[in-house]
Amino acid sequence: MAKPKIAICWLGSCGGCDEAVVDINEVLLRVADAVDIVLWPVAMDFKYDDVRRMKNGEILLSVVNGNVRNSEQEEIAKLLREKSQLILGFGACACLGGTPGLANLSTKENIFNWVYRDAPTVVNPNGNYPRVASRVNGKELTLPEFYDRVHALNDIIDVDYYLPGCPPPPYLVMYAASAVLENKLPPKGSTLAPNRALCDSCKRNKSKPERISTKEIRRIHEVEADPDTCFLAQGIICLGPATRDGCGEACMNINIPCRGCFGPVEGVEDAGAKFIPALASILDAESDEDITRIVNQFVDPVGYLYRFSLPASMFQKKGER
Amino acid sequence: MSDYEPKVVCFSCKFGWGYLTDEDTLSRKIDNWVPLICTGKIDATHILDAFKAGADGILILGCPEGDCHYQDGNYEAKKRVYLIRRLLESAGIEKERIRIVLSADPEGESIPRLVDEMRRELAKLGPARKGPAKERKPKEAIKGRGGK
Repeated sequence: MAKPKIAICWLGSCGGCDEAVVDINEVLLRVADAVDIVLWPVAMDFKYDDVRRMKNGEILLSVVNGNVRNSEQEEIAKLLREKSQLILGFGACACLGGTPGLANLSTKENIFNWVYRDAPTVVNPNGNYPRVASRVNGKELTLPEFYDRVHALNDIIDVDYYLPGCPPPPYLVMYAASAVLENKLPPKGSTLAPNRALCDSCKRNKSKPERISTKEIRRIHEVEADPDTCFLAQGIICLGPATRDGCGEACMNINIPCRGCFGPVEGVEDAGAKFIPALASILDAESDEDITRIVNQFVDPVGYLYRFSLPASMFQKKGER
Repeated sequence: MSDYEPKVVCFSCKFGWGYLTDEDTLSRKIDNWVPLICTGKIDATHILDAFKAGADGILILGCPEGDCHYQDGNYEAKKRVYLIRRLLESAGIEKERIRIVLSADPEGESIPRLVDEMRRELAKLGPARKGPAKERKPKEAIKGRGGK
């Protein structure tokens, strides 16, 4: 019997998600024995044309990481959708838009002006900007079109399963791989990670007082945080209450508060918005002056609350009507 | 734009606002009015949802300070509103699009007036923008990164 075909592909991503696949170590060799990898640009030499020649649905599973910001990424995402039975959105960028999604706070024009004109390290006396098509020596050269904004994968194609994280931890990658190979997948649209919030499994949870309250919002680099105490109880913003569990507490273990790479818990659209009431409830202030003073200590709220999820947030979709 | 009519969604607590007047009668005078029990119930998600659905501004009418039926719902609402205003501001959206008033009006007659007032203020700002976009000035950016 022919081995099931698997594709692993990166769109707008840093390569960390491909690294996460390699991080399953020897298990990868067993996976490679069990399946036929037909595309993995970062690690193996296949061409997109090889995929184009396949029949629709011939690939069992495409593991797609990265967001979609240009026409090439869109084309590859759509190609894989056509040729695959299942698409797994892999990593925070594919699931939520990821850190590069913060570029949506700026316009395409502003980004181009900064990158090709205004940044202090740029020398561009002729004012050259990338163009979709240019003629050089009578030949036409093309580049992918840079879109107005960053899209999460499910803005562009139908996604069957999600595995968030920046990057997803090896044990969840293995769970996902075995769920596919053993045909034990949950209902379509599921996120292949626990449904509860990070606080549920955080070992600092038991250290928190009965009622958390703080008169200050402090940033992690401004204080020496106690490695065993709940960050919120120390006045340090930690997105644990509004973030899905499953990351293995990689940040907590090195004394860094949760930054939300696993996205919202089950049933929540926008983790950033859900975190606001949680944070408000621990602010120990009543007068306008006190509230204003504490709230102003929260530096760059949009960057903090939506570090990994701006393109998929309600906030981003504001006014899209 | 002369034909631009800002849309305001008004949430108000039933314990402090309009409880002496028939709700149906009052709702005819106020578009997009959401009377509820305690403003502490309003989640940031409801506010962003209203914006997503096309609101240009949100007005929240809570009970006077110290008068919450549930102890501190109005304070919670106030803190949330301040945080959301800060969030909007950090993304380059006018914080004036959300307003909270902690007071009481059992007859509710002032609600249409407060909504109108806010609508007039919003008309000066124009429609809520499609997406946040602040141009980054080279000097600001360098300063922001700890450069000279």
